[in-house]
Parts: sequence; C-alpha cells; structure tokens
Amino acid sequence: MSELTTQTPQPTAAELVDWLRGRVAAQTGRPAAEIDADVPLNDYGLDSVYVFGLCAEIEDQYGIEVEPTVMWDNTSLAPLADALLGLIAAR
Amino acid sequence: MTSPSPAHTAPRPGAEPSGTAGTGAHPSGAHPSGTLPAGRAAADHLEELFGDAGDPANPVGRDAVLAADDRGEMLAAGEDLLTGFGLNAHFVPRGLGGRFEQLDDLVRVMRAVYRRDPCLGLGYGAGSFMAAVNVWTAGSDEQRHRLARRLLSGGRAACAYHELDHGNDFTRAGLTALPGPDGRLRLNGRKEVVANLRRAETVVLFARTDPAHGSRSHSQLLFDTAALPATAVRHLDRFPTAGMRGVPLGGIEFTDCPVPDDSVVGRPGHGVETALRSFQLTRVALPGMTIGLLDTALRTAVRGARGRTLYGGRAADLPLSRSILAETFADLLLADTFTTVAARAAHTAPARAAVYASAVKSFVPTVLIRAVQRLSELLGSQFYLRAAEQPLFQKLLRDVQPSAFGHASRVSCQSALLPQLPLTARRGWRDDTADPLPAETFRPGAPLPPLRFSGLTVSAGGRDPLARSLVLATASAADGDPLSAAGRAWCAELAALTADATGLPPALIGPDAPPYAFGLTARWTGVLAASACLNTWWNRPGEATGSSADPAVTLAVLHRLGAHLDHHREPLPPRLAEPLGAELDRRFDAGLTFDLDRRPTGA
Ligand SMILES: Cc1cc2nc3c(=O)[nH]c(=O)nc-3n(C[C@H](O)[C@H](O)[C@H](O)COP(=O)(O)OP(=O)(O)OC[C@H]3O[C@@H](n4cnc5c(N)ncnc54)[C@H](O)[C@@H]3O)c2cc1C
Repeated sequence: MSELTTQTPQPTAAELVDWLRGRVAAQTGRPAAEIDADVPLNDYGLDSVYVFGLCAEIEDQYGIEVEPTVMWDNTSLAPLADALLGLIAAR
Repeated sequence: MTSPSPAHTAPRPGAEPSGTAGTGAHPSGAHPSGTLPAGRAAADHLEELFGDAGDPANPVGRDAVLAADDRGEMLAAGEDLLTGFGLNAHFVPRGLGGRFEQLDDLVRVMRAVYRRDPCLGLGYGAGSFMAAVNVWTAGSDEQRHRLARRLLSGGRAACAYHELDHGNDFTRAGLTALPGPDGRLRLNGRKEVVANLRRAETVVLFARTDPAHGSRSHSQLLFDTAALPATAVRHLDRFPTAGMRGVPLGGIEFTDCPVPDDSVVGRPGHGVETALRSFQLTRVALPGMTIGLLDTALRTAVRGARGRTLYGGRAADLPLSRSILAETFADLLLADTFTTVAARAAHTAPARAAVYASAVKSFVPTVLIRAVQRLSELLGSQFYLRAAEQPLFQKLLRDVQPSAFGHASRVSCQSALLPQLPLTARRGWRDDTADPLPAETFRPGAPLPPLRFSGLTVSAGGRDPLARSLVLATASAADGDPLSAAGRAWCAELAALTADATGLPPALIGPDAPPYAFGLTARWTGVLAASACLNTWWNRPGEATGSSADPAVTLAVLHRLGAHLDHHREPLPPRLAEPLGAELDRRFDAGLTFDLDRRPTGA
C-alpha cells in the first residue's frame, strides 16, 4: 500500500464509527448525531452506488483495499466498523 | 463459395470441427491451414456451412433470412445449421465438456452468425450464453454440469432478468422467491421481454430472495421449466418489436410457483454480485458479436453504392461516398480493436474487467449504430425500399438498435464507471510503479491464460492497467514512430482527466450525477479505447504485412475515435482515407471480413 499517502494509526471501534458517521452525515446532509450505527445505511437514502464512493473514502483514509461487497454484507455502521477494523489491523 | 446443404455437411453437436476448416480459398494467405488458432478455425468452418448468402437457393441465404424476418420467425434452417455445427458447445467451458476457452474466440464464432442474421445470433446463441455465465461464475458443480449437459445436447437457456417496471435497474427487480409454508421457495411476479422464455428448457431467473433493502437480497435461480407446476405459470403474449423481429421475446407470470430445492445459484442473496461479475463477459462479448452486423451492413452498402449509377459514374466513387465508406471501415476496426483487447484483458487481468466491460458496452454499440445509420444515408432510398436492390439493409438498421439499451444501456454502464473513477484517478493513474497489461493482451491470436470466473470482481479497486499500458508504451516508443505523437496526445488527455476526476465528490457519482460527471466517464472510455488501438499497433507481429503494417490504419482509427468523442468534426484526411478505401475495396473484392481477422466470408 506504499502508494497511498495517508496512513492513519489503528483506530478504535468507536473512532472508526465516528469517522464513518461523519462521512454519511456529509453525504446525506443530516447531523452526525442522527446517524444510528445500527440502522441500515439504505434507510438514510444511501444506495448501492454510494457504497463505492464510501469505499474509496475509507481506502484513502485508512490505506486499505475494500471490496464494495464488504459494505453489502454489513449494512449498518457498527458491523461495518467491525469488519473494517480487521482489514486495517492486517494492512 | 457455393451453397451447401448445411444439414448434411454439419458435424454432430459438440464434435470437433471437421478438417474442412482452413482448406477453402484464403486470399490473405496469412494462415496456412492447420495452424489456425481454434477460434478462427471454428469461425471459418461456420462460414463455410453458411455458404454464399447471395445464392437464392441457399436455405440460410439472404432471401431466406429476410423471409423469416417478414414472418417474425427465427430462420429454422439457420437454427438447424447451428445445432448441427454445435454452436452451444462454444458457450460451455472446456472443463465441462464444451469448447469455450477464450472470450475473443467465442466472439469470433458468434460474429460469423451475426454477419448472416442478428436474430439467429441473439435468439439462438447469445441468450443462452448470457444465462450460462451466471452459472459458470457462481453455480455449484452439480448446477454447472446440469446446464452444460442441457446446452451440449442442443437445449436452450433463457436469461430472465428484465421487468418492464425496472428497466436496466435490475437491483430493484420485484419478482420474489420467498419460502412458502413448507419451506420451499415460491415464485411470485413477472419477467418481461426475455428471449426464448417460452421455448427454453432451462431458465436462469433473477429474483428477490430477501425483502430487505440492500445488495444482498437477490439470487439467481436455475431450473428446468418442466419441473414447474403448469397451473402456477402463465406465459405472456409475445412482445412485438421494431427490430430483432424473429427473436421470440416472451414474458412469464408466476403465482405461488414452487421451485426445486436446489435452484438457488451460489450463495443465497449474492445475486447482484454474481450478475455484476458474470455479465462483465457478456458486456464485452455482445458488442463484439454485433460487429458482424456492421460487417454485413458495410458489405451491403458497398454493393449498393457500386451498383448505383449517379452523375454518370458509380455512387461508390463519389468522394463523399468514399469518405463515408472509409470512415465506417475505420469505425468497425475501432470497435473490434477495443472489444478484442477488453475480451483478452478478461483473461490477463480479470480483477480489472469490471471497468473494461462497462467501457466497451457504453461506447461500442453507439459506434456501431451510428455507422449503420451513416451507411443508410449513403444507400439512400435503397435502404428503405423493401423491394430495392439491398433489402437486407433495412433489417440490419432495425436489428442494430437494441444493442444501445439491451443488457445494460450506455447510461447504466456509465453509472457503473462513475463510482470507480475518482479512486482510479487518485490511486491507479498516479501510481508510477503500477503494472501495465501483459503484452499478449494486445496480440490477437497469441495464447492467453485460462479465463478464471472466480477472478472477476465487482470493482476494479482503482487499478487501470490498460491506461498504464498507454503511458508506458508511449514513453518507450521509438523516435520517429508514426504513432508516438498520438500516444503523447492521449497521455495528455489522461493527465487532464486525472486532474478533473481526482476530487469528484461522492455526491456526484450516484445515478443522479450531472451530465458533466457522465462526460468524464466518456473521456475515460476514450483513453482506454486509444490505449487498446495504440498498443495493438505497438505489439503487432514483426512479420505483419498489408493493412496491419500500415500506420495509416491506426491513425485513421484514432481519428474516428476523436470524432466519436466530439474532439473534432473533421472527415478523414485523404492521406488516411485513401489507404483505408483501397483496403476496403480489396477485402470486398476478395470476399474477406472487414474486422481484424480478415477471413473469408460468404455473407
Ligand atoms: C431484442 C431484445 C432482447 C432482449 N432479451 C432479453 C433477455 O434475454 N433477458 C432479459 O432479461 N431482458 C431482455 N431484454 C430486455 C432488455 O434488457 C431491456 O429492454 C433493457 O435492458 C431495458 O432498457 P430500458 O431502456 O427500459 O431501461 P431503463 O433503465 O428504463 O432506461 C431508459 C432510459 O432512461 C435513461 N436512464 C437510465 N438510467 C439513467 C441514469 N442513471 N441517469 C440518466 N438517465 C438514465 C436512459 O436514457 C435510458 O436509455 C431484451 C430486449 C430486447 C429489445
């Protein structure tokens, strides 16, 4: 992953969820506090295509490669953060 | 070629081609018989079976094709011929007993069918292949063998995805397959405008298997129609269409219809992923096959323009006519070069095929449709009058249209490219150490690694080795290379696109993206097509002769690429148009195809 410029240190689950919440808030125009980590992103109007964009942001931020299908399998932020923590730890 | 009696000369389905392939007149002289790669030998053999399209006594000739189209029927003699040839074996991987090994070879064989009758191509062949790729990619061993047996015995598979209410947006498909009281899946809902739905013995059906939102809620089901209770199935009336009139486009409605327990293909809920992966192959192959339609349209137009006397000379000799013919020829070569490279890249870089397939499907059909349209202008009333000299032309003009919207429209392919664009700009295009595509990708006819269905992925992960090949090959082009200036211009376009796409925010990459963002995907596609053409030139065989050794051909193809991308509106300059026109005449007179293969045809 040497070509990726950002190499943030290993986040905690709570930090990762907070960061993801911020991304979703920016995308949907809602206050971050309103984004529930256990509610499917689809309920906030984010569809399968947006997932590609969020993937790219995660990849840039944490220096990992994320198949969009990871987000199809984990439809809300809490399980998604769990899945990503493993990938980030393994980078 | 004389008209054969196809049913008698054909081998049994699935058999190896008889030794006749390659023994006919081969004016190109490029391949002595016996050394032809398998795909070319099979395509040549099929050409011989089809015989001379112009012979009125040929049961699969032009007159017969037109008569079947007028009746709105598939050409029965053509279907028999293809069954005898064993066409279905070309859709079945060799490991399952078939002859499918290379995607570009499959395209070659199917192109021979499209040259004769696009309805046969879609209605006999392509429909089954579209269904099959789902099963080859995600099915269990048992399912793969079951479908292979069905196809190898001459049976059909329908690929039932489409619902009129949802168009190309199949992720919203509404037909459900949910467990009934006994735990078995039950179908409820409709599929519409699906090729062969009524007559196919086997169906691959795309259904919602989970009421939840999201991309894990659909699955493909594979079953034989004979296994369904008749009372739960209603066939809808055939959907009449402007073109592809012979293809039986059916619909079906299920009411609480139980399906056999082993029907679900792959992991339940993974249907969207399976479709996005497996259809990468068909999104390349279908435009590649349709190039055969343009081949015949071009031949028909030359025939018409040569036969027409205007202003005291042949219409074909008027400067404007010659220019249109040369440009259409270059369009055909552009389409072929791009699809051939994409098909071969599915072997050499399967994890990147998601981008190349969408790029081909968003661009090539438009080139083909425009080209056929321009030829119709050249033919004038001849293309419109059913009783005129070239009555086939109006059929080709109708039959080419569905390639624009069928099996993923231009816009839906651009929407598939868009979300991958910013990451590719930030990661792939800026990486000075990234690998290009292996050279054999650009050498049609060279052996390829086996196609790995398991290597196809939903996203290309921001990597773009085809663009990388453009950068590296341009940098190492020799001084004075006739194409190096073009290479530098396309590298500059890639650099400009990198700057424009890097910061594209997530809000601009969804389906509601503005025209500007869609335009960026068209520019990306242009860079990829240019790289395909330039690298095919730079990787040409050392012993290349004739048109493949003439830089004017590649320059003309790139000139046309610029025209299609609205970089300019110039006609081909005479120094490029003349060699192309001369080659076009040579091929027409020698009865050779106009594509990269340059093989004998009786079309
Ligand atoms: C000859 C033939 C054979 C066929 N065979 C089969 C078959 O075997 N199996 C099967 O399942 N189906 C089959 N079909 C159906 C075919 O797949 C559908 O007709 C086609 O995919 C749906 O096209 P649509 O134009 O209705 O799509 P829509 O998605 O409704 O698109 C309509 C138009 O909306 C616009 N649009 C769409 N998305 C966007 C966007 N994001 N942004 C801006 N504009 C947009 C575009 O201009 C597009 O052209 C066949 C059809 C034909 C004609």
